[in-house]
Amino acid sequence: MSDADPRYGAEVRARMASLAGAGGFAPSPDVARGRAGDREHGAEVALACRVIAGRVTEARFQAFGCPHLVAAASWLTDRLHGAVREDLEHWDWREAADALAVPPAKFGRLLTLQDAVRAAAGNWPGATASTV
Amino acid sequence: MSDLVYLDNAATTAVDPRVVEEMLACLGPEGDYANPSAVGHAPGRRARARVEQAREEVAALVGADPVQVIFTSGATEADNLGVLGAARFYRERGRHVVTSRTEHPAVLDACRQLEREGCAVTYLKPGLDGIVAPAQVEEALRSDTILVSLMHVNNEIGVVQDVAAIGRLCRSRGVLFHVDAAQGVGKLALDVERDCIDLLALTAHKVHGPKGVGALCVRREPRLGLVPLLHGGGQERGLRSGTLPTHQLVGMGAALRIAALEMAADAARITRLRERLWQGLATLPGVTLNGHPTRHVAGILSVSIDGVEGESLLYALPGLAVASGSACATSSGEPSYVLRALGRSDRLAQSTLRLSLGRFNTEVDVERAIEAIVAAVTRLRAIAPGSGT
Repeated sequence: MSDADPRYGAEVRARMASLAGAGGFAPSPDVARGRAGDREHGAEVALACRVIAGRVTEARFQAFGCPHLVAAASWLTDRLHGAVREDLEHWDWREAADALAVPPAKFGRLLTLQDAVRAAAGNWPGATASTV
Repeated sequence: MSDLVYLDNAATTAVDPRVVEEMLACLGPEGDYANPSAVGHAPGRRARARVEQAREEVAALVGADPVQVIFTSGATEADNLGVLGAARFYRERGRHVVTSRTEHPAVLDACRQLEREGCAVTYLKPGLDGIVAPAQVEEALRSDTILVSLMHVNNEIGVVQDVAAIGRLCRSRGVLFHVDAAQGVGKLALDVERDCIDLLALTAHKVHGPKGVGALCVRREPRLGLVPLLHGGGQERGLRSGTLPTHQLVGMGAALRIAALEMAADAARITRLRERLWQGLATLPGVTLNGHPTRHVAGILSVSIDGVEGESLLYALPGLAVASGSACATSSGEPSYVLRALGRSDRLAQSTLRLSLGRFNTEVDVERAIEAIVAAVTRLRAIAPGSGT
């Protein structure tokens, strides 16, 4: 009999173990930043994407939330590599839900991640309006 | 299992090997497995003798006469029998019950059932330290109050209520006093006569006995009436029908006998472990102790840890068996109503750990727990927004 908690899939476990992509960037004009959620509601995400020649070359995250949210944020930092602004504008939380086998009860947490991604798109280097 | 540190003794405990040995003597073909009600033959009489010895052991721990002990399936049934049974029996005398907001669901849900049956229930709000003051109880009593139900030791935060003072108050006012002693039995001295307790709910599995067995101690003089919950063979003076599980009762008797003998030594040792645990965790900033700082049982430490999310914190502690701030509400995921009643925010309630120590925990366990929790909290805080990484 396995002691592994069946609520968390292999990708979530791997991401929680490595926390790949955790952190941020020093202030720089080539970084798109997006932030969403709040701790009182149990989910907060800050996303930072370094943008060179219109594409994300590296992304980092900070997150306060359940393991599914933290793991999804980590997964996203890989997923966004090479993305352009339009990719972020249209990114949908269901992609992370599928990739990490997130249970329906946690879908709301992933909306926080989606909000952070779209906020980063709104703060794309060179964009005129900032949402942060 | 050997690498895991078990700090969830308030949920349940390992059965003491000495208890297991006595229980086994009642199970196999050579054991005293017969129906204790079948006193027409020798095996039945032997089983009956074991049951009555267990009854004496349970009674002795709480200053009761053995005839006062009604065996049940556990504290939940004992609470239900005590609260519902008494309120229903005395419904013509009055229909008001007093309890607190931080009781175990076994009492709260029984009270809600009484409300559906036409009773009024006053739910007292404890102070921020979790204590219900006797003056609060006094103020809540009405001319039609028939029952006060309060727990001895809170299962989530470990605070100890002054049941003796409240018992005297209730006795002086002619109101029945029911005490849920599931968390206190075998850990703190309790005496139903001295403390004026009319109904006392007990369990075995919180004190290194088996699950599935408990007892309700019922006042003898003047005789107290109860309406039974179960109907059948008329066992336990007609108050709890059902074949008596000899091995379970023997296990409860043994567990409580051992607890009585070792209570002082266990309490002193566990108090030291708890203090070391608290000192170790208090080195972290943003850690809050829940409950009264001194009026608590030895084994329970509840701490809220700011800046981490509760589920992730538990996830990050795979080597520890501890309870979260959801405690008895873990299946719902809702923040603990006990912590809410103490004024904790939902966020802080969800980032709460209940660490509960038992007879088999060691200093090594405590050091490993401190190390694991400090490391997990530090790691999770480091990735939170605003952490500066």
